[in-house]
Amino acid sequence: MAEEHPRADTSRRVAVRDTYDRIATHFAATREYAWPEVETFVETHANELEPAVDDSLTGLDLGCGNCRHAELLAGHCKRVVGLDVSRGLLETGRERAREHGFAVALCQGDAARLPLAANSVDIAVYVATLHHLPTQRARRDSLDELARVLAPDGRALVSAWSTAHDKFDETDGFDTTIEWTLPGGEPVDRFYHIYSPEEFDAALEASALEVLEWEVSSGNCYATVAGAADSSPRAE
Amino acid sequence: MKESLLEILCCPLDKHDLELEDAEYDDDGEEIVAGTLVCRECGERYPIEDGIPNLLPPDMREETPA
Repeated sequence: MAEEHPRADTSRRVAVRDTYDRIATHFAATREYAWPEVETFVETHANELEPAVDDSLTGLDLGCGNCRHAELLAGHCKRVVGLDVSRGLLETGRERAREHGFAVALCQGDAARLPLAANSVDIAVYVATLHHLPTQRARRDSLDELARVLAPDGRALVSAWSTAHDKFDETDGFDTTIEWTLPGGEPVDRFYHIYSPEEFDAALEASALEVLEWEVSSGNCYATVAGAADSSPRAE
Repeated sequence: MKESLLEILCCPLDKHDLELEDAEYDDDGEEIVAGTLVCRECGERYPIEDGIPNLLPPDMREETPA
């Protein structure tokens, strides 16, 4: 596939941002609970890391939406960053943090160009977000960026929607738009790249991330990953 | 945002450190509610809007026509 012109890429990503700004409140209201796969990941890896780093973990919820997964991380980390492209969704995260009584440092940013220092994150959750980046280039950049910000012992959980879901008949990965229906019935299109499990695996292997575990669950691909093996050590 | 967040934030374009300018704090003095984050290398300016830093690269910050 030919690389798209960067300008076209940007305008499509701005469109994704605008879509989520429009549907933010209704979307967040339907995303109340953390996913069990994410709960398991956070429990497992936070407990492995905690004794070694003296209760000073930094967590990252990348594509945080209403911060339901930032809330999980907040139970284990000294600092949690919730990053999203949509200001509207960040406001729903702020509201949830206030109502549920947890702390999250909200930040508006682009998943393919992270505003975070190298090796600054110990535990990251990057779920149901990668598939909204509209070009292969942006998705690859985003995985490399996650590798860059993860600390040497850091771990991340990456998920994307896949052809393994009952909803899809296709077996190869494809681009599509899926409607979100606002209260009152107005439909809003959202971009998705639906991964085949093989394609998801290949995308991670081609990135700077190191894949540690891999599974398909509830129609999503999940990978537990470590950061770039050759990233410079954290300054002491 | 808390000022301590600057320890890990950086410019999304060139990954250099950011400097806080024109900061306004809340009543407790703990949260920055407004100000600007400026890249020490490229000089790009990122606004803090109602307490949330907007670190979108400039090409994604622009409004789309209605």
